Amino acid sequence: MAEIRLEGVSYTYGRGTPFEAHAVKDLTLTIEEGKITGIIGHTGSGKSTLVEMLNGLIKPDFGRVLLDGEDIWADKKKLRSVRFRVGLVMQYPEYQLFDETVRADIAFGPHNMGLSEEETDERVREAARFAGVGFELLDKSPFELSGGQKRRAAVAGVMAMRPDVLVLDEPAAGLDPKGRASILSGIREYSEATGASVVIVSHSMEDMAAYCDRIAVLADGGLAMYGTREEIFARRDELRAIGLGVPLITDIAYELSSLGVPLGDDIYTVRGVAEALAKLIKGRER
Amino acid sequence: MHDIALGQYFPGDSVMHRLDPRVKLVALIAFITVIFVVNSAASFLLLAVFTFALLLLSRIPLSVYARGMKPILFIIIFTTVINLLMTTGGRQLFSFGFIHIYEKGVINAVLVSVRLCFLMLGSGLFLTYTTSPLSLTDGLESLLSPLSKLRVPVHEFSMMMTIALRFIPTLVEETDKVMNAQKARGADFSSGGLISRAKALLPVMIPLFVSAFRRADELAVAMECRCYRGGEGRTRMKVLRCGRVDVVFLAVFALLAAAVVLVNVFFPLFAFKL
Repeated sequence: MAEIRLEGVSYTYGRGTPFEAHAVKDLTLTIEEGKITGIIGHTGSGKSTLVEMLNGLIKPDFGRVLLDGEDIWADKKKLRSVRFRVGLVMQYPEYQLFDETVRADIAFGPHNMGLSEEETDERVREAARFAGVGFELLDKSPFELSGGQKRRAAVAGVMAMRPDVLVLDEPAAGLDPKGRASILSGIREYSEATGASVVIVSHSMEDMAAYCDRIAVLADGGLAMYGTREEIFARRDELRAIGLGVPLITDIAYELSSLGVPLGDDIYTVRGVAEALAKLIKGRER
Repeated sequence: MHDIALGQYFPGDSVMHRLDPRVKLVALIAFITVIFVVNSAASFLLLAVFTFALLLLSRIPLSVYARGMKPILFIIIFTTVINLLMTTGGRQLFSFGFIHIYEKGVINAVLVSVRLCFLMLGSGLFLTYTTSPLSLTDGLESLLSPLSKLRVPVHEFSMMMTIALRFIPTLVEETDKVMNAQKARGADFSSGGLISRAKALLPVMIPLFVSAFRRADELAVAMECRCYRGGEGRTRMKVLRCGRVDVVFLAVFALLAAAVVLVNVFFPLFAFKL
């Protein structure tokens, strides 16, 4: 229910010092309404800077950030309400937990919004469900949880604000495969249930392929590619040149095709390959 | 937050950067002694010329030094005003209502301001801008090492200092991150009264303390894993060595300092009589 448009944004760290570093250069990108957009790029390609621009934590040196067509920097007093609408989960968010109980910590955002106790409580439960935080954990101290549980609690803390745009910087970094899958599918459920747009920053081409409708590829602070995952992964040579590559399974399918096993070239998941192979084998049996 | 410049080391490869930190520490102590010993205008003029030459030698833009003077501007103004108003002695130069300004007050004010400026320039020139925090603590440890004979835990102190210096930027970065994370959840650090502002900092302070303890713990384990057990018998990768440059620098520096003091003794030209 909200669209964010970045128009020619640029940002430089430490301007005017010997440590000056360009993070983002003249970048234009639209985060489409209701879609899950993946942002992928190398370390230092400007991903984290970009997401901090989306909710006004960083003010671009040049360019505009438009939320539903309105410049978020037009009125600084409204910035706080922008942050409620664009929920940002930062990298390693488990280190931001602070309150006595998980419940109180998840309720921090809704409290800041000035919601009533009942409303807050309902949102905490809803967010805990999406993020996969078991209700039995809600009354524990966040410092007693395991790493993965902490991560979920932190994600729930942002979901509880019920943002129109949910932005997550490396939400699955450092988790085991099961943890990755459950947190990412929770995010997708949130998007489907609320109609929210989602932005996921990741290193993992596999995750991008499995969860994202749109993919933006960043390189050297600029937008190198943007499109549907079919469009992006079809450009595998260019991706290689940037040093990113395509999902491993897409590579395997491609190599198989070049060896004369016609799998088709729009395969991005293990399941996809399995189905295509099954079809081929059945075709041969006949 | 990114503007916090603690330990304003300004990387470079000039003679001043390459000097042994011990030499720089000794030079700084001598420099400070000189600026507080001499009081003739001629000496200060000579000192200014030498200092300027050293500033150029450090190859750090002069604007950086100028910026470094900003923090002491207030102190200079403050002491100048106090000196002007409170010191009596010598001819009365000016009198209006309760304000009486005497000759000695003016002399004192100028002298203190000049000394403060030199102090600031000198510490920047010899230490803060040209010496990385690590080599600074190494130098300190080496200079203070005779004290360990008196059972002063010199190595431990310098290790603590090294670790503290090493983690200041990390903690600043982390503060920045946690603040941003809480801002993203609508935390408001800049409005409300004193109490509500202090309360608003809790969601930042708690995660910071927790992570500082976690880091300390991890660091301790990492150090033990590499068999750290204090300074005894420990060798270094970067051994401090007084090379020829250092010796030449010290000799030249000693000559210059002597010259400044001698000028003060024999040519008390425009000396501020106290």
